[in-house]
Amino acid sequence: MKGRGWAVGIAAAALIPVLGLLLLVLWMGFWQNGPGEPVVYTLGHYRKIFSDPFTYKTFLNTIGFAATAMLVSLFFAVPTAWLVERTDVPCKNLILMLVTLGALLPTFFTAMGWVFLLHPRIGIVNRYLVDLFSLDAAPLNIASIAGMGWVEGLGLSSIAFIMVVATYRTMDPSLEEAARVHGLGILRTLRYVTLPLTFPGIIAASIYVFTIALSAFEVPAIIGMSNKIFTFSTFIFYKIQPLEELPSYGVAGAVSTVLIILALLLSWSYFRVLRFSHRYAVVTGKAYRPRLIELGATGRTLAWLFLGGYFVVAKLMPFLLLIWAALLRYFQPPSWAALEQVSLNNFYGLPWKLLLHGAWNTLILMLAVPTLTLLVCLAISWTVLRSGLRWRLVFDAVAFLPHAVPHLILAIAAMFATLFLLHNAFSLYGSLTILIFVYTVSRISFATRIINNSLAQIHPELEEAAFVGGLRLVQVMRKILVPLLKPALVYAWFWMALLCYRELTMASVLVTSQANVTLPMIVWGLWLGGSLNQAAAANLVVLAFMVPAVLLYFIFGRRGRVTEAA
Amino acid sequence: MISIAGLGKKFLSGEQTVAALRGIDLEVARGEFFVLLGPSGSGKTTLLRCVAGLEKPDEGEIALNGAPVFSHRRRLCAAPEEREIGMVFQSYAIWPHLTVAENIGLVLTHGRARLSKKAAAERIRESLALVQLENFENRPARLLSGGQQQRVALARALAVNSALLLMDEPLSNLDARLREEVRANIKRLATQLGSTVLYVTHDQIEAMVLADRIAVMAHGEILQVGNPLELYRRPANALVAEFFGSINWLGGQMLEANCVETELGRLSVGDACQSGAVVVGIRPEDVRLERAFNGGENRIEGKVTRSTFLGDQVVTEVKLREKTVMAKSMPDAGLFADQVTVYLPKERLVVFPERAARSVD
Repeated sequence: MKGRGWAVGIAAAALIPVLGLLLLVLWMGFWQNGPGEPVVYTLGHYRKIFSDPFTYKTFLNTIGFAATAMLVSLFFAVPTAWLVERTDVPCKNLILMLVTLGALLPTFFTAMGWVFLLHPRIGIVNRYLVDLFSLDAAPLNIASIAGMGWVEGLGLSSIAFIMVVATYRTMDPSLEEAARVHGLGILRTLRYVTLPLTFPGIIAASIYVFTIALSAFEVPAIIGMSNKIFTFSTFIFYKIQPLEELPSYGVAGAVSTVLIILALLLSWSYFRVLRFSHRYAVVTGKAYRPRLIELGATGRTLAWLFLGGYFVVAKLMPFLLLIWAALLRYFQPPSWAALEQVSLNNFYGLPWKLLLHGAWNTLILMLAVPTLTLLVCLAISWTVLRSGLRWRLVFDAVAFLPHAVPHLILAIAAMFATLFLLHNAFSLYGSLTILIFVYTVSRISFATRIINNSLAQIHPELEEAAFVGGLRLVQVMRKILVPLLKPALVYAWFWMALLCYRELTMASVLVTSQANVTLPMIVWGLWLGGSLNQAAAANLVVLAFMVPAVLLYFIFGRRGRVTEAA
Repeated sequence: MISIAGLGKKFLSGEQTVAALRGIDLEVARGEFFVLLGPSGSGKTTLLRCVAGLEKPDEGEIALNGAPVFSHRRRLCAAPEEREIGMVFQSYAIWPHLTVAENIGLVLTHGRARLSKKAAAERIRESLALVQLENFENRPARLLSGGQQQRVALARALAVNSALLLMDEPLSNLDARLREEVRANIKRLATQLGSTVLYVTHDQIEAMVLADRIAVMAHGEILQVGNPLELYRRPANALVAEFFGSINWLGGQMLEANCVETELGRLSVGDACQSGAVVVGIRPEDVRLERAFNGGENRIEGKVTRSTFLGDQVVTEVKLREKTVMAKSMPDAGLFADQVTVYLPKERLVVFPERAARSVD
């Protein structure tokens, strides 16, 4: 195979920075002084964080937040998945489309909507409840661990749904049919067959969602930080960009290390459980779908109440509230008096020049990151599955790391590197290039997984026939593999482009100037600056920019492959 | 035991609707071993699943044991758990999270019968004994081999003591040697227990070994119902004839009753109530080869193009004018060479109207 060296080289070149960033974080945790000063190593930061009660409080906050998010997401995802996969509930395509849209809707978007709904001071639900029952204080508080977990859980319910649906689909439907024909009713079949068999899959989905929530940044940043409620991710962020004191990279590095260890442990248990659940997956190759359970009139009403309630609560209400907020100068509950103040002034007052510049930057990111990621991941996947290299499993393991390591930490490591290690050689600090670089690194796991899955289904003899025919590896990739992998590549490209669009976590660390500002950062900047209504308006503008990209995704990219994302 | 009338079922396949079953009428008697035979896509599995209640037909009626379980006219469709059946699935559908005993016990204690734990344990032992798996009760089901899973599936279907057993290609995932053994076992148990069996397969040998009667299906219709001998010797049409082994076809024109002008000249046939363009068929083992030229009815001289010894038979290709005819003869006859006389006995010739489509699929 001529050209194997090239593929392995590209794969290695993409994966070495992953390890580099990770080691940098670990290293950072042992630096006594700030960067630029003489290097003295210390265990002081670790001693400090383990002796500080605040760390434990933050730890409990983080666990509580992630657990709430996990429970909320499963509460909505499991019944929805069961309804779609096993019953005759109508309009399944619409449900699937709304769930996919839900996965794409930026979390910071819904988080802001929920602040307008449930904030103790301005939230309209609280205001109504206080008026209605003459209460002294607001009964509901979004700026709490439970409140933040609720918002995060609603956001993650789409991913949980996609994973649970995959569990149902890999299960041989005749396992349930065998129970039905031998006399078990719907409920008994559900209890004794369906639930026990899907349980490992549901547990795997829970761990997956929990891991994401553990390092989630957007919701704690939008809702928690201004109310002094910290989780690990916002705590790390606060150490890097504090309001009063000097940045403390050492502490951030130490806390990051702890978080990375936690995340790796969770990922390990995820794979353990997943392997267990695969023991139950019987692939029969039979293409028939199981007979769908007929809900009947009552069941259908209940199903629609549940699904309708879910979509109204998770997507529609935050959306309507943002629109309402965007039309007002000061936020207030809807009333006739408020209606008279409705205007488009917030939109006129937006920093349009900055928005257009941000849109341009975001567009470049959306084009560059998926393309670059797919190129390197093609090389990685080929190295892992086809090169026959002895070290190929190391490539596989390293390619998985960006999934397990919180993206905020990847960004911090990159910023640290550009600011202090590389700044004499390349001036990457505050540039679009560094964003492209870190975004690409963070997506390697996702794209490698998608390409691995598809490449594993292509028989190696298809390539070998081309090698025998005298083609070089580059030609084989171009003429054989890329055309065969095309559906997966197109899907992955669009999905990553859309994730780029809504990316706030990494941008929050790496966007340091107008030069590399992105659209979500502009919204967040307005929000942090206290102009909530303007932030709402900016949010709607950003969402409007996103519509064409989503349409393209639904036209070209989807093909029902959403399940592979999980 | 099973009576089906006017059953129809359409599937939505992409944008088009495909008729999986059209106007199926069928009567299966108590204690009968009845096989639905057909190529894939013929609708045989769909028909079985309609009887089980796993598919809902679009029209027609089904009654089990005299009680209607589906009637389009009366808007009746009993759920699977309300029908008195035992079933063996193609994938066996053995629950991997349970042991062998629990796989059977679940349907006994939580199914239609709602037996006590004790009564269930007794029944589990009995049914495992029937399939010779006495000491496997506590084995986790996912650790069983394919053949053992198949037997547990059979034991589970038998344990519910339903008079009606449904089987969906239960042998197709076993290797050839095991298949024969299990096939014999199924037949023995069905006879011993007096069960009515509705059995789906695409393998005509399997069908002939097992069946009291066979329904041959294609394109969602039943082409013919009969016992194996009838189907082989008196196929109702060319599709059925082709489905049971190979056959030589000759095109021709009906001259008068019992006489056809074919591409090989004039042939006498048995009673053939046909007219106009027809095809005449004969199975290779019915074609007689004679070394000497005798002359006479239905005898044609031809040239041997190939003669192959296969141990239990000799297969010979003979060229008659432009047509090649295949003949199978006993190994004692030895190989054939050069000129032979081909004799097509008239009682072995079948005559059908000229068909639009020749092959089953």
